[in-house]
Amino acid sequence: MSKQTDFTVSDFDPVNILEVRHLKKYFPAGRNFFGKTNAWLKAVDDVSFCIPRGSTLGIVGESGCGKTTLGRTVLQLQPATDGQVIFDGVEISKMNKRQLRPMRTQTQIIFQDPYSSLPPRSPVGDIIGEAVKVHNIVPKSDLKDYVVDVMRKCGLQDFYYERYPHEFSGGQRQRICIARALAVQPKFVVCDEPVSALDVSIQAQIVNLLKTLQNQDNLTYMFISHDLSVVEHISTHVGVMYLGSMMETASKEELFGNPLHPYTKALLSAVPVPDPHYHVKRIILEGDIPSPVNPPKGCKFHTRCKQCMDVCSQVVPQLKDVGNGHCVACHLYDSPDVETSQQPSDTTL
Amino acid sequence: MNDKTVLQQIEEGYKDVGHKDSHYISAKEGRIIARANSRIVSRLEKNKKRKADESEYVTEMRDPNNIVEFDDLHTYFFTDSGVVKSVDGVSFEIPQGSVVGVVGESGCGKSVTSLSLMQLVQAPQGQIVAGSIRFRTEDFLYGEDGKPIPLYEYVRDEDGNPMLDEQGNPTVLTRPVLDKKGNPKRDKNGDPIVEKVQATDADGFPAFRRVSKTYDVAKMPASQMRKIRGKEIAMIFQEPMTSLNPVFTVGNQMDEVVLLHVPGATRESAKARSIEMLRLVGIAEGELVYKKYPHELSGGMRQRVMIAMALSCNPRLIIADEPTTALDVTIQAQILELLKSVREKINGSIMLITHDLGVIAGMADYVVVMYAGRIVEKGTVEDIFDRPLHPYTVGLQKSKPVVNQKTDWLYSIPGQVPNPIDMPDYCYFKDRCQSCVAACNGEYPPLVKVSDTHYVACYLANGAKESDK
Repeated sequence: MSKQTDFTVSDFDPVNILEVRHLKKYFPAGRNFFGKTNAWLKAVDDVSFCIPRGSTLGIVGESGCGKTTLGRTVLQLQPATDGQVIFDGVEISKMNKRQLRPMRTQTQIIFQDPYSSLPPRSPVGDIIGEAVKVHNIVPKSDLKDYVVDVMRKCGLQDFYYERYPHEFSGGQRQRICIARALAVQPKFVVCDEPVSALDVSIQAQIVNLLKTLQNQDNLTYMFISHDLSVVEHISTHVGVMYLGSMMETASKEELFGNPLHPYTKALLSAVPVPDPHYHVKRIILEGDIPSPVNPPKGCKFHTRCKQCMDVCSQVVPQLKDVGNGHCVACHLYDSPDVETSQQPSDTTL
Repeated sequence: MNDKTVLQQIEEGYKDVGHKDSHYISAKEGRIIARANSRIVSRLEKNKKRKADESEYVTEMRDPNNIVEFDDLHTYFFTDSGVVKSVDGVSFEIPQGSVVGVVGESGCGKSVTSLSLMQLVQAPQGQIVAGSIRFRTEDFLYGEDGKPIPLYEYVRDEDGNPMLDEQGNPTVLTRPVLDKKGNPKRDKNGDPIVEKVQATDADGFPAFRRVSKTYDVAKMPASQMRKIRGKEIAMIFQEPMTSLNPVFTVGNQMDEVVLLHVPGATRESAKARSIEMLRLVGIAEGELVYKKYPHELSGGMRQRVMIAMALSCNPRLIIADEPTTALDVTIQAQILELLKSVREKINGSIMLITHDLGVIAGMADYVVVMYAGRIVEKGTVEDIFDRPLHPYTVGLQKSKPVVNQKTDWLYSIPGQVPNPIDMPDYCYFKDRCQSCVAACNGEYPPLVKVSDTHYVACYLANGAKESDK
């Protein structure tokens, strides 16, 4: 058994910081009498995308569509079933835990719930400084100054150093989580619904903080959220997921200005608009998201799609570029004679 | 002893506790707080358990078009570290047939306001200490035996008018009582026994004589409240998973509501009613869902069941406490659409509590904006969204990103909500406000009338100018 030590990938475009190729993550969902797994929950099913340096990829979708699993698998917090994750030219999906360790400082994650993602028995300084100590980022003597510096950058005051997480409000805790992630000087941060658990006025503070830090440190974000308005605000590129598959990816302007996939259209029209004079015919999707253990054949969305055709229940649509870097997985845009002009833009807002 | 009002008692009880400068309280102060707490809470609890005559809590509405009037409501929580004034002098009304939206951040008292209306505030520490909540309802008229007086079918002539007997009273329709075999029962003399035929309402349930009454919920004893809660006022909670009982089927839980609140309902009629309600909320296979347990349903489905359960007694008011916060956008659109159609069907009012301004804009007729236990602004939905006056309302609207609206930088309200135990004497929003004037250092601004519908609690709207700084 020879240990692989070189993980560099030759065909990696250095413009990107992260490239994901045909990533799959299946969870065992059922066993037969002999204990052999006979059903799989396909949480992430053949997803490919790349993130350019310094940009933000927003991932949107309903709960249970595999957004969080995608984020965790990209960071190798859980091993992928199949596919490649290439970070900075290195294929991290083939590494074992020991080999991954130096990579952990480069990639970080901010979790959704700041109430359960902070250890209740450690003071803030220890929480933020622990990874710094482990990875030897600064000499031991400078540790406290360094941590206080990071805290100040994230809008936390110096005297919070000795306090415990329960003494803080939700917004402050999320700042601690952000400081903890940024303390190891990462290049790439996965933000897993960082503002969903916060109040509206606090949400704005955290979103602004994330943007400031991105400008300062040239960070790259993968921003997972179900709130389309926040994703639109912070992202440069957006991917729409449904039942483990990527339905549409495009730049922010393209996706919100000219949504192509029927699911994206429905998602956009369902967002409540804070204006009482705004009246538009909403596209109300019938029913619920199907079970990912037993997804529909063909296009996964065809059971709820208003523009469903015969082919949709037979053939799985592939993610295709329809121009402008706008990729969509829908049979409506298959043949060249059905161009985008046929699509009435009924969701222009 | 009880000649002092509760509010006076509170003021006196805690006057020796001064933690203005410090976050922590000493052991001595802790003892003072504990003693005052137990004194006040036991007084209020005793009041709740009393056997009250109806005249004590029947009042009149200020405006007969309203269904609910909150009048200077104070709901406090007596905690070990002091009194938390969750709701501190809130007054607003819910007109018949309208949707009133209550917005605010978490902890601003919007849920406690609605729980006060249901008398569901966590007791004994949470108590309504002052103010009144007037609720107008069509209640049953109770006879001397404590049972509701039934309405009977009358013998009618060809035109449908009731036939009168010699005294001029309408004759009640009777039918013979049948035994198990279907033969008419007879008394000792051999005459058939007859019973009066009770009229039925539109839902097929026995009808009773009703009378329009206005109750003061804040003064009602708990036993009386039980007759209204769930029947006249229904509530839809935020988390459908935690508010449905996991060990009973959906049908079982829905039938219970009907069996409890509709006199004369049988198991069969309750089941029919439950399935009809499930169909009303858009569940096609009502019979199937009726037999399922809550964990077998998806989030949207559970919320539909909650709404069906709330509707089953034809409530006059539905309180929806963040009904869509736990749901996805697409399911949220479904549920909001459903709530809208339901309101038209039952002609009731909805009190919609949410922190999402988008939901409010799409649903509500009137909006109440709350901050730190007080109303900062209230008005029609156009007043609030087109002509917001309070800096907090403005900030709230600006801090929410809107799809297809380009902003480089989100406006964010600086700072945080003040500590609820130790509220300042001046305007609670002053420390976060960016348009403060000299007058803001004074006492809390009163709610000022701007137009017939629009009220705001801010010195800026009251004639003070920003240049007065």
